[in-house]
Amino acid sequence: MRRLLKILDFTLSSLLKRKYKNFALIAVYAFTIAVLGSVLFLTQALKYEATGSLETAPDIVVQRIFAGRHDLIPVNYAETIRRLPGVKSVSSRVWGYYYDSLIKANLTFLASGSDRQTLDLLEGRLPLADDECSIGMGIQSAFGPAIGDSLALEDSAGATKTFQVVGLFRAESNLLTNDLVIFQEQTLRAFFNIDSSLATDLIVEVYNPRETKTLAKKIKYHLADTRPITRDEILHTYETLFNWRSGMMLAVATGALIAFCILAWDKATGLSAEEKREIGILKALGWETADVLTVKLWEGLVISLTSLLIGLIGAWVHVFVFGAPALTPLLKGWSVLYPDFAYTALIDIYQVFVLAMLTVGPYIACTLIPAWKTAVTDPDLVMRG
Amino acid sequence: MAGLLKIDQLTKIFNRHRPDETTALSDLSLTILQEECIALTGPSGSGKTTLLSLLGCMSRPTSGNILFQGRNISRLPERFLAQIRRDSFGFIFQQYNLLRSHTVLENLMLPLYPTDRQWKEIRRRALELLERFQLGNMHSKKITQLSGGEQQRVAIARALMADPEVIIADEPTAHLDEQLSAELLDILATLNGEGKTIIIATHDPFIYAADIIQRRISLQHGHITADTMP
Amino acid sequence: MILHPGILALLSLSAVIFIIMLVAGWHSLKLIVYWDANSSSERQLLLERKTWLISTLLNYTLTVQIFSLLLFVFTADDIHRLFIGAMCATGSLNANLVGWLVLLVKGVLLFMASFWVVFNQLDQRTEDAPLTRLKYIGLLLMTPLFALDLYLQWRYFSGLQPEVITSCCGSLFSAEGEGVAGDLAGMPIGQAMTLFFSVAGFYLLVLLACLRTRRVIFRPLLFVASVLMFFISLGAVVAFISLYIYQMPSHHCPFDMLQANYGYIGYPMYIGLYCAALFGMLPGLAQPLRKYIGLRREIDLVERQWLLKALGGMVVFLLIACWQMIFGSFKLLGY
Repeated sequence: MRRLLKILDFTLSSLLKRKYKNFALIAVYAFTIAVLGSVLFLTQALKYEATGSLETAPDIVVQRIFAGRHDLIPVNYAETIRRLPGVKSVSSRVWGYYYDSLIKANLTFLASGSDRQTLDLLEGRLPLADDECSIGMGIQSAFGPAIGDSLALEDSAGATKTFQVVGLFRAESNLLTNDLVIFQEQTLRAFFNIDSSLATDLIVEVYNPRETKTLAKKIKYHLADTRPITRDEILHTYETLFNWRSGMMLAVATGALIAFCILAWDKATGLSAEEKREIGILKALGWETADVLTVKLWEGLVISLTSLLIGLIGAWVHVFVFGAPALTPLLKGWSVLYPDFAYTALIDIYQVFVLAMLTVGPYIACTLIPAWKTAVTDPDLVMRG
Repeated sequence: MAGLLKIDQLTKIFNRHRPDETTALSDLSLTILQEECIALTGPSGSGKTTLLSLLGCMSRPTSGNILFQGRNISRLPERFLAQIRRDSFGFIFQQYNLLRSHTVLENLMLPLYPTDRQWKEIRRRALELLERFQLGNMHSKKITQLSGGEQQRVAIARALMADPEVIIADEPTAHLDEQLSAELLDILATLNGEGKTIIIATHDPFIYAADIIQRRISLQHGHITADTMP
Repeated sequence: MILHPGILALLSLSAVIFIIMLVAGWHSLKLIVYWDANSSSERQLLLERKTWLISTLLNYTLTVQIFSLLLFVFTADDIHRLFIGAMCATGSLNANLVGWLVLLVKGVLLFMASFWVVFNQLDQRTEDAPLTRLKYIGLLLMTPLFALDLYLQWRYFSGLQPEVITSCCGSLFSAEGEGVAGDLAGMPIGQAMTLFFSVAGFYLLVLLACLRTRRVIFRPLLFVASVLMFFISLGAVVAFISLYIYQMPSHHCPFDMLQANYGYIGYPMYIGLYCAALFGMLPGLAQPLRKYIGLRREIDLVERQWLLKALGGMVVFLLIACWQMIFGSFKLLGY
């Protein structure tokens, strides 16, 4: 142990003597780690946002499937579902998408009262009159209207309608409210021309969450043309989606990692004449091969861990302070209006562990053989000049 | 005086079974006694350095035996040779071979890093030796800031760190002026007086003819051509 | 196939280890053929130097293997959300048949690599390195296992279908489950405890006997006791130790205790168990090697440390496993 520490002491002092060479290596290494780390952190933050927002989502969403496609659902289906034992409440939702050619983006329109989860995220108030609406931050930044301004939209008949903005979702609000516009239910039905006997979907609340699956089966049994979707299914779909995206990103970034490993190999092999001489001297003075290998291993660990730390800090700052400007378009992207919110800063030990394994593991592996080649220098080399 | 290093029919061949095969030493036998001060001489290529490296446990012979303190070390794995080298031999090289970017103190402490001795203890020993060679105030200086004579003394101090039985010096005066050479001889004489065995490879007549040399061995083409005690 | 960062890391680590083992295996072959301790040829010197390369590679492999085992359990735990019905790592491992096999191979490799590293260190301390050939033959035998590890991992992860509804610890380790795992969980607590504590007691007795006397007979006995103790302890973790740790009468999962919710208590516990098993087996394994005089000296020097490490590991394991049993408010016996 004492021996290891003394050798560590020597390693550190040698590393400091070659500041510039090692600094360059650490800079490249840390950058690679920061890239990979950003991908992981961002995915984690997005996952957290998505799953967090779904926690208040309805237990079951019931859609009607017509000719294999999602269709409007008759409001009276709610009665059938309500009679099933274990159902706490059923309500209908009216919502739809709207493509705005001006900003070239899809907006989500939702009738107020349809979705209780958004209510407490409001600044200003919900629409009370026919010509009022509340909007999400994404829309505000795209169109530029503030509370009191008006928003012009083209309804299903092609007529332009103007709505006054009376509410705004705050920036901290989640992913799902970013491109959202809320209207009164009657306004929205008129806008989309939806009959009052129909709704977009039904949302079902259940008393006992363990019965959700059973209830979903029962709904399917009683109403054969419906598709009940449970919250768990949505959650794991998100999970799969994000894992897939970050996995793809990582696979691409692995290219960078491999390039880095080649660099590491090269650095470890290409010893300067001075370094070779120094190792020869050490061997002549009675250092064993194992001791020189220890020096090399310490060197690798010190460089790796320093870079890991710097890279992690870099990734953290990139994602949580600057909002991951370099990666956002690649990882999100189900909407043109990217949510422009600050991610909740959290560090998952698992992610850090994965990152360490992905980077430190291959780096050390790359330096093993070059390290051995240096360590077996002939001790009498220094005498033979 | 007991036989400290005994060499028996030593042969060292480089690049064996290859076109550039060279025989550096052939069938060489020699006994070195404790507290002897030996000058090893001969033209370059005569096998001086090879013999020194074999005596100093830096390499293994192709055939023949080397006995150090009665123990046959000619077939030992490198790891054990390194241990013996560390504990029993002190080397003074032609080029000093100091780590240029490290401080004087670090250079002195180096040989004892791979041991179980305490850091503090090693440091104390290094400072003592620096005091002895009038380098006490230079311990935190870099090697590059020292004069040639100072570097020479640091190299000698380093050789003494582990309190070795044998001191091996390879052309120690090659880069020294006369005054410094004389200084070196003084130090070597003192060390010899303290009971250390000293082996110097040199073709500097200044050393070769010095009073402290008790035995002169001449090498040519890997053979001993003369072994005299003046 | 799920593209998950943890899975990518696991597969690439296993691939790196496998390549390293191939390199080590190649050099081992040469060592086995040409090694001649009495020769002083340049080739022998080169081979001698290669032993350092191989031990470095194997030290690396062992270290990575430890992390890889942890990462595997971590990842299995992290991906459980992809499977409806899975609530922890157990659920993910159940998702296809290979999951548990991967865990088993990783565990076996961990022990094999540990043995190799320990005996290599001993051997390198002797002047004549008598185990050289044996070591490298062992290494060659190990190499295919690393290939198996990589292959099984690939099979497991590529065969994962996120939609599959898996049984999770709630059902696998609940009393109705089938197979060994279910039997373990269904075992009456009293019986399981008796078995566990008698084996642990036996192990400790033999260990103390080894510490007190140099009698040869106790070393192989300790080996047997360690193996028994290791497997029965793993069973006991599923059968009742987990219940005390979670303070829940039906939660038998052996992995949840690695989570932050339970203060990572699983780590010291499993590390303790691993040390107790590994260092308990070593004296028995080293026994036949004492016929080499050089090694005997080294073994005698180090054996006491092994025994003390085994004792330390066992104490840590028992302390954590039994803490709640003795001091917790949760009671299982008497129901």
